[in-house]
Amino acid sequence: MNDHQHPDANARGHTPETPVDPGAHALSEALRSSFVIVKVVMVVLLVVFLGSGFFKVGPDERAIILRLGKPVGAGESALLGPGLHWSWPYPIDEYRKVSISGIQKVFSSVGWFATTPEQELAGTEPMPGPTLNPAIDGYVLTADGNIIHTRATLTYRIADPITFVFSFVNASNAVQNALDNALLYAAARRTVDDILTRDVIVFNELVRRRTMELVAAQNLGIVVEQCTVQSAPPRQLRDAFASVLKAEIARSKALNEARSHENQVISKAGADAQSRLNLAESERVRLVSDLRSRAEVFLALLPTYDENPNLFVQRRLTASLGRVMTNVQDKIFLTEGDNGRTKELRLLLNRELPKARTTEESR
Amino acid sequence: MKRNPLTIGIGILLIIIFALWLCVFQVRQSEVAVVTTFGKVTRSITEPGAYLKAPWPIQSDHHLDQRVQNFEESKFTEGLTKDGFNLLTSVYVGWRITDPKAFFPKYAVSATPMVEAERGLERLLGNAKTAVIGRHPLGAFISAADGGNQFVEIEKQILEAIKTELKANNYGLDIDFLGFKRLGLPESVTQNVFERMTSERQLLINRSQFEGEAEALKIRSEADRKAAEQLSAAEAKAREIRGKGEAEAAKSLSVFQQNPELANFIFRLEALESSLKDRSTLVFDQSTPPFDLFRGASTNLLRK
Repeated sequence: MNDHQHPDANARGHTPETPVDPGAHALSEALRSSFVIVKVVMVVLLVVFLGSGFFKVGPDERAIILRLGKPVGAGESALLGPGLHWSWPYPIDEYRKVSISGIQKVFSSVGWFATTPEQELAGTEPMPGPTLNPAIDGYVLTADGNIIHTRATLTYRIADPITFVFSFVNASNAVQNALDNALLYAAARRTVDDILTRDVIVFNELVRRRTMELVAAQNLGIVVEQCTVQSAPPRQLRDAFASVLKAEIARSKALNEARSHENQVISKAGADAQSRLNLAESERVRLVSDLRSRAEVFLALLPTYDENPNLFVQRRLTASLGRVMTNVQDKIFLTEGDNGRTKELRLLLNRELPKARTTEESR
Repeated sequence: MKRNPLTIGIGILLIIIFALWLCVFQVRQSEVAVVTTFGKVTRSITEPGAYLKAPWPIQSDHHLDQRVQNFEESKFTEGLTKDGFNLLTSVYVGWRITDPKAFFPKYAVSATPMVEAERGLERLLGNAKTAVIGRHPLGAFISAADGGNQFVEIEKQILEAIKTELKANNYGLDIDFLGFKRLGLPESVTQNVFERMTSERQLLINRSQFEGEAEALKIRSEADRKAAEQLSAAEAKAREIRGKGEAEAAKSLSVFQQNPELANFIFRLEALESSLKDRSTLVFDQSTPPFDLFRGASTNLLRK
């Protein structure tokens, strides 16, 4: 650096004398030390510069390093896993992080009437007007020209993070658009009854399938996991739709009642028929055996009669009359009067009311 | 001062860095770039990497986002279908810059070139939609899958129309995909649709009721008929059985032919006994046997 010569070294004579004074000396000293400081600072800056290349990748993230704009590595190998990584700092390298694991969720943005989050939580709905303003309340048109509300929730996974981040400005919006479009597409092909009641699962599947087709065609780099769809008739017509259901229920009830009547009547008829047959059978048996036993008795009596018909008749008659007299409850014997004729008996019959007859008939 | 090689080295390094900073630019993976020389576009770069250019103000580099942009129409446009229905539609597109050389002079003059481009796109979309919608009846948009539903074909037609328009006028961008985001009807028409839907529902209710009643009646009357049939068949069978019984019993009757008067007498006695069994009142006088004994009726015994 500086050569320092004593003023009295003039005797050597080979170099011109440099005027040295304490100020210049101090200045050069300062300059020297400041250069040292600058050197130190530069080294520190360099270290800091290089050190800024460290970055951390979280557990559900991946990172890609762009070296001079181009990704380092290709395909799966370009993705850096979780942990601490280093790259050259900008402007040589640049890194981008992508969130990959974890299920992404997207809701459809068309097709449902306007609600607020509070109403959603409370399960209430805003009051509908007589018409639907398509700018405010969403709805879809069905294949038979009806209007319904429908909305879907889609969950998906990012399968190709490079495409997802580097090929699209906003790939999740593109997914939402695909979902909205699938809702329109599916609703336009099915009738209102199919969507709301008859083929709900088929409709759901149709939305999901169409979303998957669109996602594949547009190369969004995602994999669809689940798709749930909810549909409802317009609020203005909710009663009309509910009445149809009620009518259906009433109809099945009527049919069930008719069928149970059918069962009842037929089984009762069966039982009746059987009992009539049984009755006839038992009557037949009784008749046959009754007459047979009488015939046997008759045959047994016949010889006795033939021996002495008169005696037989008298005996039997008297015996019978005796039994009759014993069994009869009230016996009224009319004696002969003085004139030898039987006394006259007069009965006063109280014509009773007809209902009294039932007690008499029960005898 | 003695020059130190380290100083010189660092000085040279600094100069190199400065030069690089002026003349090298990067194109990222998701970008395309355009190099302008004195304001005129001379070079377009679509591959990522590092490139050289002359320093400003001779040449400057401009970067454009090369990724697929998502654009949705902000409001509905009305279009008349072939059969005179007013249809409100809004579409979404995925577009991107394909020719930076053509795109740049058109749009990069504004501070927000993308927004400018999208505004132009919106106009084109409106025209294309009106044209395509007018070619189809309403049934092409909404009908059963096998009933002539052309939803997807119509989207394709709109896409084709836009693509040709973009190419013909060299906009420098292209559309990757297009689809309907919303399909609706004018507000006044929705009320008519509601009325129609209500009467449709009422028709279904009526049909349910009538069919239900008719079928229930049929089931009941069928059941009643079957029951009556069964009963009458049983009745006939019962009669048959009884008849058989009487026929069988009649065999025994032949026995009584040996002395029909005696049989008759015995039967009449039995009838008399059984009819006067309980709770009967009998009025008689001395002439009724055996009470004729009270009169002192003579018997054959006493005479002998």
